[in-house]
Amino acid sequence: MIPVHRLCSTLFAVMLLSAVALACGCLGTAEGADAPDWNLTLAGDQETVLTFAEIRALPAVEGYGYSVSTVGIKYGPNRYRGVLLAELVEMAGGVSADDLIYVSAEDGYLWVFDTAQLQGEEFFTFDENLREIPAPPLNVILAYDQDGELLTYEDGGPLRLVVIAETPDVITEGSSWVKWVDRIEVHRR
Amino acid sequence: MIRPAVTLALIALAVLAAAAGCTDTEPERTVLTVIPAGSLLHPLEEIEAAFENQHPDIDVRIEGHGSIQAIRQVTDLGRGIDVVAVADASLIPDMMYIPMSEGSENYTDWYVPFARNEIVIAYTDRSTGAEEITVENWYRVLARPDVQVGFSNPMLDACGYRALMVTALAEEYYGEPDLFEAIIGNSFDPPLTPTRAGGVATITLPERMRPADAKVAIRDGSIYLLSLLDAGGIDYAFEYRSVAEEHGLRWIDLPPGINLGSAEHADDYQKVHVTLGFQRFRSIGSERTGQPVVYAVTIPCNAPYPDEARIFVEFMLAAFHEKRAGWPTPIE
Repeated sequence: MIPVHRLCSTLFAVMLLSAVALACGCLGTAEGADAPDWNLTLAGDQETVLTFAEIRALPAVEGYGYSVSTVGIKYGPNRYRGVLLAELVEMAGGVSADDLIYVSAEDGYLWVFDTAQLQGEEFFTFDENLREIPAPPLNVILAYDQDGELLTYEDGGPLRLVVIAETPDVITEGSSWVKWVDRIEVHRR
Repeated sequence: MIRPAVTLALIALAVLAAAAGCTDTEPERTVLTVIPAGSLLHPLEEIEAAFENQHPDIDVRIEGHGSIQAIRQVTDLGRGIDVVAVADASLIPDMMYIPMSEGSENYTDWYVPFARNEIVIAYTDRSTGAEEITVENWYRVLARPDVQVGFSNPMLDACGYRALMVTALAEEYYGEPDLFEAIIGNSFDPPLTPTRAGGVATITLPERMRPADAKVAIRDGSIYLLSLLDAGGIDYAFEYRSVAEEHGLRWIDLPPGINLGSAEHADDYQKVHVTLGFQRFRSIGSERTGQPVVYAVTIPCNAPYPDEARIFVEFMLAAFHEKRAGWPTPIE
């Protein structure tokens, strides 16, 4: 049996170590432990609401995302995981060639994509020096993970539109990287 | 003899103290967050360095955005911003003279217009037509099918919708019907054509600003146009005069009646409107009216450090009054 005074000092040490670990961020929330309370509305031929957990259960793709703002501030590269925008649009009833996809967010931001972009085409791509380079294959996803962690609110989570490439050296214009996405709408033309 | 658990505890305490910053003896600097429009970035970075030399206790953090996005950092995104400086003075009353929440004070109730700018046609020695373009014939050179023209996305950047306004104003100014279509409009499918009613030309943009041919190039911001100009991807770009000057480009000055740089021609500028293809933000409408390019600065009511912000703004205004090359022109 451990003497009481030794038990106390051991407990004290364990508590302190826990505090240190917390201060150092070592006891971060395990991935997926606390799914955010966030819904996505898909509006096409009919309207569907998906929960965050339902979105995470869909087939996922991964890749590198690296964006740049209108004034040239670069963000990334990061590894992202999420659902293809094309797959979500398909769930909303699909698109015809001339349709447009409105992606909007909780903060009132709206960006419009065409069907070519849905397939990862027609994006401008840049190198580290922000010189234009020929676009490699790209995918447009609704991302929920960044570098293996749930996307934080600060980074545009729980759900953010991200343009991904196979390599980390491809920069895309940030205007289409809609943060805090809560609605995807198909507009028939 | 010290027990292992106590040793462990002491180590843990030391690590915790370090992690919490308790051993840091550096005096903390006040972090002042300043958000300027893109075309103010270069001047503001110079001002930041000079200001911090005089005020070593203040750490100025400059974060550039498009003008509308700059204001949204305060309003829609609720961030604690100390100074906002935009390239379109009218945006401040439009977007910030509103209560922060029901019954509370406005985001701000004032602004100081401090500089002006104008639209020019920027180019390089290698641009097609560079040897023949003049202030008299620029619009004919830009209308040529072999000449490639660039401007920033009017959905994102004030310089972008101002490029469209200048071209529509030029059509009237030079008495050249279809000039807008020849320079810009015919590169879209369907063509982009100003509609004229009651003396006002209105350009209604599609939801996706995607040119159908290579004559017109649209990018998110002006820095990408500069890069394209440099690489020969376009021949001419609609830019602010200060930006062309800052980057050592050649440029054509446009007549005051169309360059959006003259307060005396404000009534003329109002005869052109641009309607964006969709309401990009809930917090601002999709209609833009031609006006002189006037820069303005304000301090939001909820600025974390309003006293330091005031000192910075006074410093900034004094710096602009020195009329430096490559900066927007000060308003006397």
